Amino acid sequence: MSARRARRWAHRLEPMALNVACGAVAVFILAPFAWMLVSSVSGEAELTRRPPIFAPSPPTPANYAFIFTGQLPKDSTRHGIFVWQTSHEVRLLLPALRNSFIVALSVMAANVVFGALAAYSFARLRFHGRRSAYAFILTSRLMPAVAVAIPFYAIVQRLELLDTYRALILVYLAFTFPFTIYFLSVYFRYLPIEVEEAALLDGCTRFQTLLRVVVPCAVPGLVAAAAFAFMTAYNEFLFALLLTQTIAAQTMPVLLAAVATNPAVSHALLASCVILAIVPPGLLALVLHRYLTRGLAASIAR
Amino acid sequence: MISERSYPYATVLPVMLVVALFTVYPLLHSVYLSLHENVLTRPLDNDFVGLQNFREVVTGYYFWRSLWSTAVFAVMAVAAVTLYGLGVALLLNQVVLGSALLKVVVLLPWAIPAVISGIIWRWIFDGDYGVLNGLLLVTGIVDRYVPWMSQPFSARLCMTVAHVWKQGPLAAVFLLAALQVIPAELYDAARIDGAGRWHGFRFVTLPYLKATLALVLIYETIVAVATFDLVYVMTGGGPADATAIIGWYAYTEIFRFLNLGHGAALAIILGGLLLGLVLVYLRALRAEEA
Repeated sequence: MSARRARRWAHRLEPMALNVACGAVAVFILAPFAWMLVSSVSGEAELTRRPPIFAPSPPTPANYAFIFTGQLPKDSTRHGIFVWQTSHEVRLLLPALRNSFIVALSVMAANVVFGALAAYSFARLRFHGRRSAYAFILTSRLMPAVAVAIPFYAIVQRLELLDTYRALILVYLAFTFPFTIYFLSVYFRYLPIEVEEAALLDGCTRFQTLLRVVVPCAVPGLVAAAAFAFMTAYNEFLFALLLTQTIAAQTMPVLLAAVATNPAVSHALLASCVILAIVPPGLLALVLHRYLTRGLAASIAR
Repeated sequence: MISERSYPYATVLPVMLVVALFTVYPLLHSVYLSLHENVLTRPLDNDFVGLQNFREVVTGYYFWRSLWSTAVFAVMAVAAVTLYGLGVALLLNQVVLGSALLKVVVLLPWAIPAVISGIIWRWIFDGDYGVLNGLLLVTGIVDRYVPWMSQPFSARLCMTVAHVWKQGPLAAVFLLAALQVIPAELYDAARIDGAGRWHGFRFVTLPYLKATLALVLIYETIVAVATFDLVYVMTGGGPADATAIIGWYAYTEIFRFLNLGHGAALAIILGGLLLGLVLVYLRALRAEEA
């Protein structure tokens, strides 16, 4: 083969090799989700064979039905009934998801409102203590979570907020505000300042300028900040574990960790819980992937 | 109505209050706890003991074991996440169909809770019914199921895989951002000078990535050392404490042995360790900005 022909071959092969490599990474990313999905429509008996049945036929909705309605399956040989009884906590998934949603949406809303207000002031206004307040908020995030676990518990206990949404919301706000403020103040600083100056000349107050001029321009940044705050709150585990005691406030990660560490867990039921629980952040990641990628990139590159 | 002069203070104050409540007091409280005897099973002995908690922790057998486990896991996890992240970033930076599709799904593992990532991989690696064992058996690679999570080395490996799967996307996105600002002319110039792909990578890409790579390395070290959720659901610290990394160890001191003094001392040691890493990180960040 002549050198030129070899080069032409390499030219044609290269995109193919790259596509294969992309496919391999995609399989590594998606295969675990796919196996969870398959497990969630399998009977327990099909999963606890060696090897397991890789494609259950027909797929069964019984696991989801049990989580939603508590209805036991008729075909008890397919769905080991014993482990269903020992995995009865999965019935609490819906209340736990509700708790997660209330907490995460509150954290998200407060981050967008208070975070944007403070971030704008840090970005554009001069006032006493601006630099030190900004530095204080940012460095507060440097404290590792485990290091302050006991004092957090003590504070929440003293405020008589143990096992409430409000405790989790407060703690998550303390965790998410620093990033939101850093992220949004950098974002605001990159917006054209002339429009804001024009609005101020026209007699707008700072607040009106923020609301009518800055916010409409900053929608992508606000969306990304909101999504980050939502995910942080929705995904957090350690403090949810410490600060909640009952299903009145227990969030989804706490419940699923309890279900999963039960030695007699039903794998099919657990898989169904996992699939239901990852729908919200999964959808956010898919729909907003462009905003999130750009936001994350900006948070380190600038 | 808030005047224009007090407007900045009014907007910054709510945020400051929340952050201060959960920063200043917790730190002082942790220091106080670490200097006193505080075992919940002996609630009446609350004496000031100076640095005794630190001494007991540091001279304890489990502390060094957990430090060792932490170091081993951190090295494995950081190396794997960085290499995987770099590979994925290089792929995402290509103009082929596959990379456009990969971009859509790449953030998925990052977006879901670490607890769930642990649950998923624990189920895959399960020694009795895991799908990995099933696939290996069907393809004839093993002739009986292997208890992956019951041996120290393979348990660490399993945890590393789960960690890479979850943390890799973030590293990839960071590195991709750095790749995208490398001027294309540099590659053209290198090609004219007769450089092949490897030389282009070695002499154009790597020097440009160096600063971001350093940031990713330090950031991932912090994340790996502070890992807790994954240990909780995947291994519970076992087998034989192989995955009992320091965050997990502090947790068990507090919630299994109910020794708040030891727990707080450990937490402060861990906090100091992480703070050191963070300071290195900030220095690197500043060096990059300059």
